[in-house]
Amino acid sequence: MSAPSAPPPLGYRIPSLGYRILAGGLRLLPLLVLLVGLPDAALAFLQSHGIHLPLSILTVTVAGIAIAVLSTARYVFKPTVAYGPLSVATSAVTIAYLLTIFVTSTYVFNVPQHAIAIGIGVMGLIGLLLIAPALSLVAGLVTTIEDVRTPRERLPFDYPP
Amino acid sequence: MTLPSYQRYRRPPPLYRLARAFRRAATIALVLVLVFLATAVYSAVEVVRSGPSAGNFSAAFAANDTVAVSGILNFQNPGFYPISGFSVHVRVLNESLVYLGEGSFGPVTLASGSSQAIQIAFYLPLGTSGPGASLLTQDQNLNVSVWGNATYAYLFPISIAVETNKSWGAPFANLAISVGTVTVSGTGAVAPVTIQFDNHAKFTESGTLDFSLLSSNDVSCGSDSLDVAVPPGGLFDQTTDVALSSGCSPAGGHLEAVYVGNGGTIPLPPEKIP
Repeated sequence: MSAPSAPPPLGYRIPSLGYRILAGGLRLLPLLVLLVGLPDAALAFLQSHGIHLPLSILTVTVAGIAIAVLSTARYVFKPTVAYGPLSVATSAVTIAYLLTIFVTSTYVFNVPQHAIAIGIGVMGLIGLLLIAPALSLVAGLVTTIEDVRTPRERLPFDYPP
Repeated sequence: MTLPSYQRYRRPPPLYRLARAFRRAATIALVLVLVFLATAVYSAVEVVRSGPSAGNFSAAFAANDTVAVSGILNFQNPGFYPISGFSVHVRVLNESLVYLGEGSFGPVTLASGSSQAIQIAFYLPLGTSGPGASLLTQDQNLNVSVWGNATYAYLFPISIAVETNKSWGAPFANLAISVGTVTVSGTGAVAPVTIQFDNHAKFTESGTLDFSLLSSNDVSCGSDSLDVAVPPGGLFDQTTDVALSSGCSPAGGHLEAVYVGNGGTIPLPPEKIP
């Protein structure tokens, strides 16, 4: 009886770069709406009603664009060794953004034309929101280590044939 | 080409599985937080729509030379999450921004789906030597600061501060006490005492006004009492003859009056006698 042979290497089918760029671009649009458009519109709405939050529209715009672009780049470069570092970068920027909000997370605003001041603390919420990017950052680190140790090992599972 | 099943379903390597587990955990955490946030916002809107209200505010004389201001705050919490550590503080300054008094209640927890009527009361001193003495005789705008704190849905500390002016109607507004010319008759000396005031308070004054005529060296020359029954907005104007002690002259002295009624004993500002 002959010894069992090692299973043949798994195959994978990676979409072309052009396809990934196109799909990434389409994915970028809702991300920009979610991370930039809606928050900016909300801030502008509040400002037009005399309620000024410590978070500026510029900060929201820059951070939102940075996260959306990094997330898109991560998608486009998923088959490459850049995927892990880009995942880490996306998570790190998201964490930095949330920490920026965390620092000024007690909002006190005055109701226009009334001597009423309302304060809301969102520190706990930001703390909860930090969990997801923190876990994603660890996932990115693990993927980076995996890609360094055994390049292309994950491709058959990320892009099954 | 179709791959054999062992090849298609081969178990991913450990590092891949670890990274995938972290990514899935991140997605689950994000979804849970977003669901929590959505339900918290919905619940907060429901709380606001339920219309927290304050009412039944009243003022009345109380013990220890004070006036008690009381009211009821009605709260409903139809949301999914409790409102915990809910407390309210009230501070009152007079028209010159001099501290008069304060009150507070709480902290209480409004459970999800509950409603609560919270009685709040605070006391303003009316003693003739303190800053609250002017409340007896002068209408004024009181500076009322109200601030409250609570934690909503376990995570959101909320504070609210309201500063407003409330008009105060003095219960003995325009108080005027005059002592007329002392007359001497066969039964002794009497002095006509006239007391006038307007009741600008929102409660009826019902009781007695006890007063004494004191000489310049604080010896009581005579005393008397008048019944008081003055509705809000009413005028009190009565004159009575006070029999004076033999040889005692109130000239240069003063008149001391105490209102007893509505559950309190309130000394009125002393009035000099020319």
